Amino acid sequence: MNFQTPLCQQLNIRVPILQGGMAWVATASLAAAVSNAGGLGIVAAGNAPAQVVEAEIIRTRSLTDKPFGVNVMLLSPFVNEVVEVVCRQQVPVVTTGAGNPGKFMELFKSYGAKVIPVVPSVALAKRMEKQGADAVIVEGTEAGGHVGELTTMALVPQVVRAVKIPVIAAGGIADGNGLLAALALGAQAVQMGTRFVCSVECEAHHAYKEMLVKAGDRDAIVTARSTGHPVRVLKNKFTRDLLRMEKEGISQEELEKMGTGRLRIAVQDGDIENGSVMAGQIAGMMQDILPCADIIHQIMEAAGRQLEMLNQLKGVTAP
Amino acid sequence: MFEKIAKIIAEQLEIDDLSNIKPETSIMNDLEADSLDAVEIVMAIEDEFGIEISDEDAEQFKNIGDIARYVESRQA
Repeated sequence: MNFQTPLCQQLNIRVPILQGGMAWVATASLAAAVSNAGGLGIVAAGNAPAQVVEAEIIRTRSLTDKPFGVNVMLLSPFVNEVVEVVCRQQVPVVTTGAGNPGKFMELFKSYGAKVIPVVPSVALAKRMEKQGADAVIVEGTEAGGHVGELTTMALVPQVVRAVKIPVIAAGGIADGNGLLAALALGAQAVQMGTRFVCSVECEAHHAYKEMLVKAGDRDAIVTARSTGHPVRVLKNKFTRDLLRMEKEGISQEELEKMGTGRLRIAVQDGDIENGSVMAGQIAGMMQDILPCADIIHQIMEAAGRQLEMLNQLKGVTAP
Repeated sequence: MFEKIAKIIAEQLEIDDLSNIKPETSIMNDLEADSLDAVEIVMAIEDEFGIEISDEDAEQFKNIGDIARYVESRQA
């Protein structure tokens, strides 16, 4: 069972699964593996300089002949150069995060990219549709990294009702039942981050992946709420320090400064005590590190089984 | 025009006391709206006046007086 939705045809992918554009984590190795497995792999630009992003795009193309995407982080200091590279390389799918990509929309559309902004509210989803977005990724607060207020369960159906373009559900989804639930809410695909961190092809430090596998249901907490830019990460020494200082009322600048560079040391150096181990609430469900092809295969199988089970319930009447 | 815009903003941000809203008031700095509130306000104004406001134009607004002048010029 492939659950081919119209969006799958639009993006030319076999299964309705996108891999989240996680800064530092979503490299060519991960993106290509997901694309090769039938989903849509996405290279994260994050705060990286444009030439680094270009090298990753070229490396992705050397590893897969399937469609893939690049996630453009709109608050990056290099955003204009990154957009230039994405256009020059004619990346088939562009997702955007941390803001409103309106001013780049025409550039992306001019070479035929499918543009899919991540949106945290109904109004922004409607505005993106009006400006020509091909679909929107609706990310609930269950997700890892920078998060909004609303849950996936509440926000996805509201956006589905408000726009005509396809909706991709993200945040708190990591298995077949989650995929099925998202489709039931009206989404045409899911985007998963945390699940793909726990994959063989993910180039994050082994300690980072292991920490996700060991995490329990309550370990992914939100920090930096007072700055207005809350971030979901796994509890560790860094988050304890951060929360204590937040309570003591340190300034927003100091708080932001404390967070700088923390993701990199966790992902690349494996410093999971002092680093920012971003993960979604679904981290508690992670039990193994598998090849991306196996992850996708298991999800599709499980979604099919669960759908059959639900179908059986249809005929059941009260005694 | 200013009064109409102020009313839309007050409705979007659930502000009861309109006396806090002046032409020199900044939506984000003074009324503590976030970027998502700003999107909702821009879209409400678009709907009310039947105009389209580009993101580039919206980014230029410093205060509510700017918005009122912009809408007026677009309607002329």
